[in-house]
Amino acid sequence: MAEMTLIDAVTTALAWELEHDPRVVILGEDVGVNGGVFRATAGLQARFGADRVQDTPLAEGMIAGVAIGMAAQGMIPVPEIQFMGFIYPTVDQIINHAGRLRNRTRGRMSCPMVLRAPYGGGIHAPEHHSESTEALFAHMPGVRVVIPSSPARAYGLLLAAIRDPDPVIFLEPKRIYRLNKQNVEDNGKALPLDVCYTLRQGADVTVVTWGAMTFETLKAADQLAKSNISCEVIDLATISPIDYETILESVEKTGRLVIAHEAARTGGVGAEVAAIVAEKGLYDLKAPIRRVTGYDVVMPLFRREMDYMPSVAKIVDAVRESLHD
Amino acid sequence: MITFNLPDLGEGLPEAEIVSWHVKEGDTVKTDEPLLSVETAKAVVEVPSPYSGVIARLHAQAGDIVATGAALVDFAESGGTSTAQKKSAPVPEADEPEKADSATVVGNVPTGGGLLQENAIAGGGRRRKGGRVKATPSVRTEARRLGIDLADVPATGKNGQVTSADLARFQGTLTKARPARSSPTPGRSESLRGPRRAMAQSMTQHRNEVALCTIFDDADIHEWIAKRDFTARILRATAAGCAKAPALNGFFNAQSMSHQLESRVDIALAVDTDDGLIVPVIRHVEEMNLDQIRDEVARMKKATLDRSVAPQDMVNYTITVSNFGVLAGRYATPLMVPPTVAILGTGKLQHDVVAVMGGIEVHRRIPLSLSFDHRCITGGEACRFLAAVIDDLEKPQ
Repeated sequence: MAEMTLIDAVTTALAWELEHDPRVVILGEDVGVNGGVFRATAGLQARFGADRVQDTPLAEGMIAGVAIGMAAQGMIPVPEIQFMGFIYPTVDQIINHAGRLRNRTRGRMSCPMVLRAPYGGGIHAPEHHSESTEALFAHMPGVRVVIPSSPARAYGLLLAAIRDPDPVIFLEPKRIYRLNKQNVEDNGKALPLDVCYTLRQGADVTVVTWGAMTFETLKAADQLAKSNISCEVIDLATISPIDYETILESVEKTGRLVIAHEAARTGGVGAEVAAIVAEKGLYDLKAPIRRVTGYDVVMPLFRREMDYMPSVAKIVDAVRESLHD
Repeated sequence: MITFNLPDLGEGLPEAEIVSWHVKEGDTVKTDEPLLSVETAKAVVEVPSPYSGVIARLHAQAGDIVATGAALVDFAESGGTSTAQKKSAPVPEADEPEKADSATVVGNVPTGGGLLQENAIAGGGRRRKGGRVKATPSVRTEARRLGIDLADVPATGKNGQVTSADLARFQGTLTKARPARSSPTPGRSESLRGPRRAMAQSMTQHRNEVALCTIFDDADIHEWIAKRDFTARILRATAAGCAKAPALNGFFNAQSMSHQLESRVDIALAVDTDDGLIVPVIRHVEEMNLDQIRDEVARMKKATLDRSVAPQDMVNYTITVSNFGVLAGRYATPLMVPPTVAILGTGKLQHDVVAVMGGIEVHRRIPLSLSFDHRCITGGEACRFLAAVIDDLEKPQ
């Protein structure tokens, strides 16, 4: 058992898979000598060699394309995109090839790759380094989208993603890369994909969130607990496909749903969660569903970026409003 | 003397341009306070002070381009060292082990949040089993308004949901089904249900919100031709009062501080039953003549007593009339239910000794108690209303 940050957990999981599965290959911009822009791959090239941990040119579309080719031919590539703001050239490769290789070959091939990218705001980076566009990928068929919110889940879910036979977009909330440490055992044990993680059980309001926003949500839950308001906090974890059964079960218990996410509101994954509950859980609802989200604007420059993001106070307000309906 | 060299601001950029200094020579700075802003190829970045101390010398001016690793600031004396800056000051590779390096191209990844403790439960959403009340939000709202606990309502809807028809049926059978509930058993605490629960809620709301004021007077009905036409006459008189002083016929929203007048006069008529007060609504009294009002009252009273009043016939009224004084009580301070703003109470009819033309006569009189919400209605408006009511009531027919 070792205390590690979320990014330590990513590095540790990558090392475990490099160590135990010779098919695993890491590639990306500066992942080798430099150890990655956030140091997620620090030391891995020195340990496993330049064939396993490969520096690439600055060409994201090529990185994704090469990875898909590797995956189709029996390797397990784990490409890194430096920032989510640079991920868009990969979209053609992901939507047209990674997501449909299995279907296009009628099941003869699959695409076991994990495309990693840090995402989200809160680190005083320029606006195009700070957005949360997970919904784009959640909308793509054949691709799984996973977001860890703690070191333990970063470790366990990344292992599971690498071992999964289909493509996974693994988005790492960079604001909490080094925020907290957690005791994580480096034992190669994966956590289940496609399930929510209930971080706190409660009776009055269900709050669904993911990524770095779990921290604001848990703080809000602490604050509300002082007024005897009991929140059930659910980390979505796998953004696509969504484990709606866990959410519906919780809403059946509480009758109230608040969704908190950093991404812009319109067409966000929160809208999908709300739609599912409206379709399948309407008769359990005691109040309208509420969303606490970023705004439908370009991420502000960094002095104002925290104004963009949902705060503890905004989440607390939404929960209270929900209870007063 | 400590010299702080320009750290590698990310990705091995060879140099950076100084945009501005936030300190000058001789200033005292604390660890992590901003020293200067520099522009790299990627961004303008604030460089925090890695030390506490006095600035002895600035090695460069705003606008200068400084090579990574070149001297930037001399500190005359030093306090503690910033943990956030350890990684890059003075020259990262030379002085700091790799594990402290959180370098990124841009920005500042926050640290120091402590040790995370959590007991996350993975999934588990296969245990849905029902048992709780299922109902649409509109049915829940209606049940709340009626003071009915949905758990008590037999559900006939799909998947066991309580439908609006279930709710109406339950509301209709409330008295017959549970006569014992209408008054609690002595010595035992029972939670209020149905109309009594609604009363507790609306009266609490009233007490919390309304600025109540009540005016008392009497209407002399000595000239009445039809002696027993009581309720219909009161309703018509109320509509006459509303015509004279429309302010009393409508709603007040305390949150938005808005007063909404209504042109329709929909009067809630409080009817005492064993189960508590039931308040059916007589619609559009202002458009009806006395015969029509009489028929409508008769129909509604019958529906009330056999508990077949539909829920929609008990909502959305604009003013209330309460005939409280059937048995005893001449005057009272009746309480309206927000958001309505007025209620007219009629007390026990009595023969009074009145002065008429310098002589003494005995006349039948109706004691009137008009309560109004003084937040949005003036005393003058209320008095004009009451005068119009009395004027109408004192007509022979």
